[in-house]
Amino acid sequence: MSADVELSDVSVTFGSFYAAKNVNVKVNGGEFFSFLGPSGCGKTTLLRAISGFQEPSEGKVLIDNKDMSGIGPNKRPTALIFQNLALFPLMSVSENIAFSLEVRGVSKEERKKRADELLELIALEGQGDKKVHQLSGGQKQRVAIARALAVEPKVLLLDEPLSALDLKLRQRMRTELREIQKRVNITFIYITHDQGEALTMSDRIAVMNEGELEQIGKCDEVYNNPLTPFVATFVGENNPLYGKVTGIEGDKAKIETADGQYLATMNESKKLNIGDESIAFVRPESLFIPRDGDNFDNKIDVNIESFEFEGNLKNFYASLKSGAKIKFSVPNAIDTSSITSGSSIVLGFESSKSVILPKASLAID
Amino acid sequence: MNNFLFTQPFFKKNGKAVAIYFLVAIIFWFVFLVIIPQFYMLDLSFRTNVPPLARGGPEDYYTFEHYSHFIFGSKTATDAFNFVDLGVFGRTIFVSMLVTIANLLFCYPIAFYIAKIANPSTARLLIVSLIIPFWINELLRSFALRILFANEGVINNFLTGVGLLDQGILFITYDIGLYTGLIYAYILLMMFPLYNAIESLDINQIEAAKDLGSSSFRTHWRIVIPHAKPGIVSGCTMVFMLTVGALATPVVLSSPNTLWFPQLIYQWFNMNDNWSRGSAYSIILLIVSVIFVLTMMRIFKVRIGEIIK
Amino acid sequence: MRPSYFINFMMGIYIFIFFAYLFGPLIIMSITAFNSAEFPSITPWECFSFRWFNEGKIAYDGQHLAGLLSDWRLHDGIISSLIIGAGVVTLSVPIGMAAAIVLTQVRSQLRDIYYSISIMPVLFPGVIIGISTVVLWDRIAGLGGEGFIADIGRNGIFLTILAQTCFISTYCFLIFVARLQRFDQTQEEAALDLGASQTQVFFKILVPYLSPAIASAAVIAFLFSFENYNTTVFSILSDQTLTTVIASKVRLGISPALSALALTIIALTIIAAVTYEVLRRRAEKRYAESQEKFVKEKAADNRINKKYKAGFKIPKGIAAILLIVVFATYGATQVVKNDLYGQSCIDAADKEKKSKFLEQLQTLESNELTDEELSGGSLGGNQDYGDIFGDPSLFQDFGGFD
Repeated sequence: MSADVELSDVSVTFGSFYAAKNVNVKVNGGEFFSFLGPSGCGKTTLLRAISGFQEPSEGKVLIDNKDMSGIGPNKRPTALIFQNLALFPLMSVSENIAFSLEVRGVSKEERKKRADELLELIALEGQGDKKVHQLSGGQKQRVAIARALAVEPKVLLLDEPLSALDLKLRQRMRTELREIQKRVNITFIYITHDQGEALTMSDRIAVMNEGELEQIGKCDEVYNNPLTPFVATFVGENNPLYGKVTGIEGDKAKIETADGQYLATMNESKKLNIGDESIAFVRPESLFIPRDGDNFDNKIDVNIESFEFEGNLKNFYASLKSGAKIKFSVPNAIDTSSITSGSSIVLGFESSKSVILPKASLAID
Repeated sequence: MNNFLFTQPFFKKNGKAVAIYFLVAIIFWFVFLVIIPQFYMLDLSFRTNVPPLARGGPEDYYTFEHYSHFIFGSKTATDAFNFVDLGVFGRTIFVSMLVTIANLLFCYPIAFYIAKIANPSTARLLIVSLIIPFWINELLRSFALRILFANEGVINNFLTGVGLLDQGILFITYDIGLYTGLIYAYILLMMFPLYNAIESLDINQIEAAKDLGSSSFRTHWRIVIPHAKPGIVSGCTMVFMLTVGALATPVVLSSPNTLWFPQLIYQWFNMNDNWSRGSAYSIILLIVSVIFVLTMMRIFKVRIGEIIK
Repeated sequence: MRPSYFINFMMGIYIFIFFAYLFGPLIIMSITAFNSAEFPSITPWECFSFRWFNEGKIAYDGQHLAGLLSDWRLHDGIISSLIIGAGVVTLSVPIGMAAAIVLTQVRSQLRDIYYSISIMPVLFPGVIIGISTVVLWDRIAGLGGEGFIADIGRNGIFLTILAQTCFISTYCFLIFVARLQRFDQTQEEAALDLGASQTQVFFKILVPYLSPAIASAAVIAFLFSFENYNTTVFSILSDQTLTTVIASKVRLGISPALSALALTIIALTIIAAVTYEVLRRRAEKRYAESQEKFVKEKAADNRINKKYKAGFKIPKGIAAILLIVVFATYGATQVVKNDLYGQSCIDAADKEKKSKFLEQLQTLESNELTDEELSGGSLGGNQDYGDIFGDPSLFQDFGGFD
């Protein structure tokens, strides 16, 4: 019972402001799909367009290939889980869960039966008579999901539902959400600004910025082959190296920066020409301290400024000659006790682990 | 129209049945209960006073006679101005202002004490004690004062009984009873806005001021009063408006030979059966009220929403 | 803020004076309700009596002064006040609710003007609302010829309901606005998303949320209606409500029956306030208990679950009540002992006054009037009362005989 969701050329405007601009995306049935982007990027607007609270100014929303324009939120086969959950405080847990059945005129016994089933699904058996305020944060979360699932929607929309939880609970709920999705096997469309959440749970993600889609793809694809400098720096961490293209070798390009020349991989859809202003990106975990016998495509001289211990990793903050900053991480298993603030070392990275993109603004700007 | 008036399409947002209920209720209220009656009264105040049957006839025409009567008196009168009515009017406004100021002065210490000094349970008790008299009919409260102030009332009986006076004081005749009663009648409408405003002031601000060496008086003048300004304006407006328009208290407590302005309206209306003139006098009262509210808003730079919450 | 002891002391005195000002008149009035004298007073204390709550009395001059139970005008007034109150509640609560909800939906540019119109009626002097309603409906009745419209246009109760609704709706509006400010709009969206129609959202989400406001708006509307005088005195036309009855009585002269009425109202008010407070505390306690239960269920160790035995203590409230009862009993026994209570006392007082009165009348040599008045006394009724004491100063003179 899952459905495809398709946004075709969807734009939403408020006055002259584009909250979403020409968005084209197709979410497949049964998929866990995430919209990832900073706050104010228009992802919530898209979600409201799918659920029916916001009619698109242009374009169409199709669910199961049916045009949804003019169909209100109460008539769409979608269910939305709100950021603040929006549980009804005056109703008991069961009444909350069975609300969608109540408004459809389902009999009391039927409602009770269904509520009990769902309580079992979310592992809250026998707690249906409690009031909402008696539940803990995670339990509320699960009740909100059960409530949304009660009418067996074809699409479940989640608007950053985990943002109010503490870290431990958030991590547990990620797994739980993923499990529930597999069990009920319906399309989940998830909205978040937390890339960790998006990457761990989703089949595919769409990265958004300022109302526009930057990239759609599988998680590792987006992480490894970002299409824009924004995606490169928003999804995971990345060190930008600014410069000009000085040579092209197959799918690799050579970039000349203030600190030297590097070789990096071009994206198929973002071919560069000699002389183009561009940025090469290298992730902190792709920068290595060369050991004997290592031979990297690129070498880079750095001066360590500071470091921090994160547990599994040790993060170093260093500066290049030009003053540009760079961060690299070393697994804790490797002994780095000799490297302290002030030491000058050489780092290496593979051109296959570095992407080069035309110059544009970063997520951290 | 929808997009012009409302943030969302009105009928779609509320559903048809509920939207119709909203519209009917609001139009009934605004148009039939608030606007049309006031405009009709305004119209009537410019017409001659004719019996119902003569309406629309030649006797029924537009005129300023009721307003000019208020200022210059009847055409046959010898005085240049209508000193009686103008006197009543002026006295009503003047006394109402004094009553408002007196209320403010009386309430401020109590409001401050309850809001900032008293411990919570005492404060609660005091607030409940303030509310209880408020639920008792204004007439009966005035009546209670009448019992005290009557010529043979409790105070005079006591004073003469003890031997302090040979003869009772004429509290009612000199309108002492009336003034006391007017202050008594609406004192709580000064108290609560004042209390709410002072209550919202962060106690740390007062302490910071003290800490910086500010005297008690200066702390109040520079910190508490400016913060409580909306509450003060709100209380003053409410008290003034209610006092100017008071009828119940003057009916019970005013001396037989003085009148309160609404009593004058009442006389034109019910005793002299001159509805047009009663309407004209009502309009005058209304204009005074509106001017007062607007002046308060202008002087103290508060919005109308802050006056009435 | 730690004021000096002197300031604290002065403040205490000031608060005492202030509350004495608020309560003193009410307490004294309450006491006069139990004095059997015709004029509400304390110092010439005649007899302790409940007559003003019951049948009133036939005065020494033959005048029937009605008590609470025997005063049919008061009863009629109360009945029409109740009818008007019910009418005002049924109109103003829905109006206030609709207006408050729509306030959340109008565009922000219009919000100020909309709000201003909504609160305008409470800024109008009450007399003006009464007058404008009457003049408008008199005109409507005049246009409608004979028939239904003419009937309701000249019906004081109907007009009073409309006139009071005009400004009481504003009070309801303000109550609803305050509650709606704390409403979480996503609740509505959640319900819509779960398939509820807009109408269902209104009845299943919004109305339950507003129900406490509905209750308080209804209570406030009723109380404001019940005690309104300024508007009612115009719009009631030839009918009477409780307040207009009281006003006309006060104008005619002050009677202890009014003290008795006031005391009854005060007692009802206090009972209502106490009931409300008790209910509120009970609800609060229930909520706290459910929270506590929740915490206990969650708590891993059982320390919180242990019960502590409370020592036996007399609550302060009960001690105060006991004290009052002791004093009241003592006072009552003194009153009875000194023959200040009961029929014999009243008879004695009346006899004394009657003879005094007769004496004075005889000196005035108006025997005819005396006979007539004395025999007419048994017919009694307020009508006579009104006729004889039409002039307030006259009554005060009679009061002087006491």
